Amino acid sequence: MAAAGLTHAERLKRYAELAVRVGANVQEGQLVEVLGRVEHAPVVRAVAAAAYRAGARYVDVYYSDQHLRRALIEHAAEDVLSWTPPWLLERARHIGDERAAVVALTGDAEPELLADLPGERVGKARMLELAEENNRQINEQLNNWTVVGVPNEGWSKQMFGEADAERLWELVEFCVRLDEDDPVQAWREHVARIGRRARELNELKVDALHFTGPGTDLRIGLLPESRWQGCESETAEGLAYVANMPTEEVFTTPDLRRTEGVVRSTRPLALYGQIVKGLEVRFEGGRIVDVTADEGADVVRGQLKTDEHAPFLGEVALVDGTSRIGKTGMTFFDTLFDENATCHVAYGSAYAEAVEGGVIDGVNVSTVHTDFMIGGPEIAVDAQTADGTVVPLLRDDVWLLD
Amino acid sequence: MAALTPDERLARYAELTVRVGANVQQGQTVFLLTQIDHAPLARAIATASYEAGARYVDVQYRDQHVRKAMIELGPDEALDHTPEWLKTLWHAAEGNALIATTGDPEPELLADLDGERVGRARMKELNEIMRAQMVARTVNWTGVAYPNDGWAAKVFGEADVERLWEAVAFCTRLDEADPVAAWRDHMAELEMRAATLTELRFDAIRYTGPGTDFTVGLLDNARWMSALFHTASGIEYVPNMPTEEIFTTPDCRRAEGTLRSTQPLALLGDVIEGLELTVKDGKIVDVQADRGADLVRGQIASDDRAAYFGELALVDGGSRVGKTGITFFDTLFDENATCHVAYGFGIPEVFDGEPGEGMNVSSVHTDFMIGGPELNVDGLTSDGRSVPILREDRWQLPG
Repeated sequence: MAAAGLTHAERLKRYAELAVRVGANVQEGQLVEVLGRVEHAPVVRAVAAAAYRAGARYVDVYYSDQHLRRALIEHAAEDVLSWTPPWLLERARHIGDERAAVVALTGDAEPELLADLPGERVGKARMLELAEENNRQINEQLNNWTVVGVPNEGWSKQMFGEADAERLWELVEFCVRLDEDDPVQAWREHVARIGRRARELNELKVDALHFTGPGTDLRIGLLPESRWQGCESETAEGLAYVANMPTEEVFTTPDLRRTEGVVRSTRPLALYGQIVKGLEVRFEGGRIVDVTADEGADVVRGQLKTDEHAPFLGEVALVDGTSRIGKTGMTFFDTLFDENATCHVAYGSAYAEAVEGGVIDGVNVSTVHTDFMIGGPEIAVDAQTADGTVVPLLRDDVWLLD
Repeated sequence: MAALTPDERLARYAELTVRVGANVQQGQTVFLLTQIDHAPLARAIATASYEAGARYVDVQYRDQHVRKAMIELGPDEALDHTPEWLKTLWHAAEGNALIATTGDPEPELLADLDGERVGRARMKELNEIMRAQMVARTVNWTGVAYPNDGWAAKVFGEADVERLWEAVAFCTRLDEADPVAAWRDHMAELEMRAATLTELRFDAIRYTGPGTDFTVGLLDNARWMSALFHTASGIEYVPNMPTEEIFTTPDCRRAEGTLRSTQPLALLGDVIEGLELTVKDGKIVDVQADRGADLVRGQIASDDRAAYFGELALVDGGSRVGKTGITFFDTLFDENATCHVAYGFGIPEVFDGEPGEGMNVSSVHTDFMIGGPELNVDGLTSDGRSVPILREDRWQLPG
């Protein structure tokens, strides 16, 4: 793979430049917010420097720490678990008001840190008002933002069974096309290709999707206003950005009332510091009415109780076998990567940008958004168009419309 | 005593910080200002705070490398920018507890940057909020250090963090069977010294020694105290751990002479060595140093009262910090090894009156050491007598 001959500092710089220039697309004079964990410091620092080089007027870094979250979950009073400190709410509002660029980092250094805590309290321990504010900003498309992963020992150990951060770095570089001589040009071509898929689906006027496979028979109804989106997003003011790096999906917002049937997740899901395995979910009238899992069902159940609309779908996304993430054959235990390996759905909040008219009837609004994987070579995906025609979209992980 | 495991030592240190230092009260929010390199201590303090009944622990992790990127690459207006939300956070500290950690993991990180930009790169507006809180005494707060590799390398020339931990544990009395009781006794002794000095009502203090002949006036409406503080609502706290000093705020209008610092001073990411100051009519009029003079010159020019004195502190040879014989390159420790003075902001806790009337008000406060066995300290009475306070590092007064 690439990165041959690069020092670690050069690798960090190259990655940070990609996140800042292509991902968030930071503009001259913009406020830039960086959200990372203490373990992400090497990338946080490189992103801060890249953002200043791109002309940021100020880079405001916020470090979080899962150990502090653990202490909160262990000790804090019930009402404090989901409390948002006013200063953090103000910070979030300022990010929206100032149309700041945002770079958020993932990559859990201690994936099992919260595993021995009561799932119910783990699920509750999130800042609700902050989540609502973030949702609002995403729906109003105020910010150019991106999410990138930070390889680290703990994460690599979860993936490989042994700590090998270098191997994970190389995988991540492959997934985000840093192995290309000109990653910016590679991203331009990739964005165009996935964009064509979104246009094809929009021209089909898909009314519903049908997923079938082992343990899965799921129908997801769309809205007449649902619009398929590719890699690239735009702020309300027309600034293009790539919200996830990597990204391989085309996605849209379903009609929250029209999901029926059962689905079996095809990959593990990392959620709130726990790993959910063998998740099976049953829908009736759009609502999740039953959750079972080999491991971690409680943390999903706890999360679904967060608010009234948590148990309804907010996203459906299609990914085929050309996905670089899929090609690695790895489970990353990180949604940013795993959701780009294969098809997935998310319960919780929808993306208003994927609906003509924004948050209209049938578009889900919730403070949660959890993606889980439902695709793979054994899963057939068909589209049913408004006039009743059935169009096969995916067989054996091959995209059939290309 | 039986050796503690590193985890036990850390937990004990955090508990001392929370119970004796900040004295966190049931239902308080704890604001922890720390660095990512101090994460293990930050986590232990968070746990100890919740165990002491804190409602919520807010941790702000700073990162010197992000600051470095700003100084190197950011626009001018970024340097002293204070995000609004941070002001809200600081205001929220009122009525609550605050804990800050020190222990620079990369003391020379900013040394190759433009000193003038380094000096400007601070959030002045936060200092103003903090100062107002100190005057109103609304926050029970403390500062503690976290031993780390980079700091240990600075102190010992090699990254012997265990040796640094042992020194820190000794200085903070973690080696005692009952550290909380040991702190109680220690603070009582310092309080007695302070009371003695206050009763003597000296008009001025005179320092004499190699390179130093400095006389500074005292204020009628200021007293000497130890670092046993109380908030306006009566919460007792110890703002520095360790602390070995008794101190007062001097009359900022009356200071004359020359001072030679007896130890290196870590300042704004660099180390100042061989500092010499000339003082006229209360004001520092000349700064010389073997290294880093520009940083001090930049700092005392940062506002129009920075060049005046704010603190006098006395420490004798009984100091645990002094006994280690170590220069820690960290003010929290070094200022407790020996006598020191500070230019910049005074100490509202010891002063009855409006800040500005004799007590200095500034946005900076920098302590530097002037002490040791060769330094004589005398109290001057208003009728012209001279009373020895310190000789050969020994306390000469009762108490």
